[in-house]
Amino acid sequence: MYSCPMTIDKPVIGRPDDAAGSPPPDGGGGDGGTPPAGSWSPIEFRLDAASGVPTYLQLVHQVEHALRLGYLKPGDQLPKVRDVVAALAINPNTVLKAYRELETKGLAAGRPGQGTFVRATLSQVALPELTALRKALLGWLTTAAAAGLDEDGMVALFTSALRDFHDRRGGTGGRRGAASGGTEGVA
Amino acid sequence: MTGNIVETSGLGKRYGRTWALRECTLALPAGHVAALVGPNGAGKTTLLNLAVGLAEPTAGAVTVLGGLAAGSAAALDGIAFVAQDTPLYKNLSAADMLHLTRNLNRRFDRPYAEARLAELGIPLNRKAGKLSGGQQAQLALTLALGRRPRLLVLDEPMAMLDPLARHDFMAIVLTAMADDGVSVLLSSHVLAELERVADYLILLSRGRVQVAGEVDGLLASHRVLTGPTAEADKYAERPVVHAQRGQAQAHLLVRASAGDPVPPGFQAHPVGLEELAMAYLREPGAGALPGPAPMRQEAAR
Amino acid sequence: MTALRTPARPERDAGLRPVPWRRMAWVTWRQHRTALGGVAVFLGALAVYLWLTALQLHHSYATACHPASSLGCAMDFTGRYGITSIIVSIALQAVPPLIGGFAGAPVLARELETGTFRYAWTQGFGRRRWTLGKLVLLAVAVTAAAEAFSVLFSWYDQPLFAAGYAVPFSPRVFDLGEVAFAAWTLAAFAIGALAGMLIRRVVPAIAATLAVYAGLAFATALWLREHYMAPLLTSTLNLPGSASIVNQWYTKGGKFAFPARGTQIVDAVSRLCPGISNLSSAQCLARHGYTQWTSYQPGSRFWPFQWIEGGWLLALSLLLIAGAVWLVRRRAA
Repeated sequence: MYSCPMTIDKPVIGRPDDAAGSPPPDGGGGDGGTPPAGSWSPIEFRLDAASGVPTYLQLVHQVEHALRLGYLKPGDQLPKVRDVVAALAINPNTVLKAYRELETKGLAAGRPGQGTFVRATLSQVALPELTALRKALLGWLTTAAAAGLDEDGMVALFTSALRDFHDRRGGTGGRRGAASGGTEGVA
Repeated sequence: MTGNIVETSGLGKRYGRTWALRECTLALPAGHVAALVGPNGAGKTTLLNLAVGLAEPTAGAVTVLGGLAAGSAAALDGIAFVAQDTPLYKNLSAADMLHLTRNLNRRFDRPYAEARLAELGIPLNRKAGKLSGGQQAQLALTLALGRRPRLLVLDEPMAMLDPLARHDFMAIVLTAMADDGVSVLLSSHVLAELERVADYLILLSRGRVQVAGEVDGLLASHRVLTGPTAEADKYAERPVVHAQRGQAQAHLLVRASAGDPVPPGFQAHPVGLEELAMAYLREPGAGALPGPAPMRQEAAR
Repeated sequence: MTALRTPARPERDAGLRPVPWRRMAWVTWRQHRTALGGVAVFLGALAVYLWLTALQLHHSYATACHPASSLGCAMDFTGRYGITSIIVSIALQAVPPLIGGFAGAPVLARELETGTFRYAWTQGFGRRRWTLGKLVLLAVAVTAAAEAFSVLFSWYDQPLFAAGYAVPFSPRVFDLGEVAFAAWTLAAFAIGALAGMLIRRVVPAIAATLAVYAGLAFATALWLREHYMAPLLTSTLNLPGSASIVNQWYTKGGKFAFPARGTQIVDAVSRLCPGISNLSSAQCLARHGYTQWTSYQPGSRFWPFQWIEGGWLLALSLLLIAGAVWLVRRRAA
């Protein structure tokens, strides 16, 4: 498991100290009652109600994030719809939509009567490459700050460049990164 | 189930000289959490009363559960209603209320109800009037869900609840939906707490339906265009729902689909449910009903 | 992927059997046990008092009233027991409206006032059947209790009757008769139920019930009751004490002269028999050729009149209860 201190916008989720897959005390965070034997998930979802990101996308991103950080491996079970609903008080259709989206992206697959399981993983970058990328990014940030860009400006610039990059790659499918639902101009 | 869980056609209700609800035509499909939203006095309670059979229509018709007459024996059997202020018999204990509900219905899942009350920590032997507001609401909800309905109708159920109680309440409602496929129709005048819960929106304003449709569809078919005020007027003939004009910059909430091009000089933003609802509420002449509906509705169709 | 499971719903709409009627028994008992208990305690306390007094009365009668005209009997039954029994029977007139008002009016009024009808009338039982079941069960309970009580009262009153000190058609006796008392209680209940549905608030409904009942009871006692059957006509001066006089007047030579009450008779007597004070008006006028006519109901008609009164009160009660049920069906929120 990675214990890489990569802090992007979303904080770390899941339980990094769950070694060797021991089931947590009570299932995937439901409202109580006894969960069926053997149904638990390594991760739990959280909801940021004020973020402006649609709920189902938040769930998708959290799964992708967990995959990226190694909390989820192929074969792991995603939290049961019922448990997510009970913990977060969100519409079950939203959870279903998120899981459908993951299926479309090829990351998960549903087994009837059993749940939804992780199918593939995101391509993971090796640690030395990650360290190099990080260093380069910090260098760019220093340059941008020296040029007079504030933090919001940096984020806006980066997001806009990311969009251009995505468009140039011709992406309707294959979008894997974090993105919001609509088009955004530079503020 | 096939068919719509609530279907109305030209439904209207008059009290004395005032029309509380007028020309209400809805087709609410099953399997959704439908939020009935509107300012106070918009007619939400009237619509719910008509759907559960507590009131008779003055005009039009309402059918439920795929074509049953509202208030008929079959409809009463499949619909559970929790009215505003969660009416309970104050001098009966929770156990008595369970027994009462069991006796008044064909179907009642007593083990489920008792388990639910035990989880919530609601004592079975205390009089309902002595429970806290949150516990009373949970008790009323438990009684309703214990009847295993196909449709759960809630009239401003969370008005008296604190945020934690609200969360627990909705968690139970939605879990029932996940487990049993119960459809939910709930009314509120606070939209913010419904955003992550509702997937169908009905917006009532002054007794008329302004907006009705699936939330995903509504959000996908609207966007906010931000651009220079001077150019904003060029788009007057576009379906603009609501415009906010500053000196230099304006925001236009428009109906547009995803593929529509963004006019040059403007940026397009996605719109959230609350913003959408507020915009429509500010423009009484606007409506977004399923099917081809003119943007500016005449007052009398 | 876990999909929303559509539940199996085996009962379809056709052939939906209604919830059995017998369930209303527990529901009615649990919701109204205070009212029913109150009625039981109230009547029970009165019954204990009556029973104890009745024992004394029967004992007195057995010892003092053979023959019935003895002085000891008269002293007991006009003096000692007479006054008490009059007070008691006047007080007991209030029992039917109190029972009917406090048991009948809150049934619907409280549901409407507290808003619990929004719970009760959206349950599977159905509001019409719920109302009918409750009202019928409570009506039967209340009427049965009243009937038992009136039987006890008849036993209490029997020595007075036998000694000749109770007049059958006096309201004191008639309203508490074994048919009329229960019928009036039922009528009060029905008035209460309908008032509760119309007024929708408990306290005003109880007040209205008492007012309407009082009006009906007075109207019946003063006017209606006399006319259940055509009164008998007689010109004798000595009527049995058990008769109830409807009207009296004087004729002379076959033509109407003046009624037996009022200023005309007083003038006539003082004109014809001035100063003679040991003659009654009737004797005086008889000497001068006037005939007194009396229309009356004989005491033997006591039971037919009880049944007639019970009959129309029952019909009225059924009508009022049906009206309340009909209103429940029509009106609501």
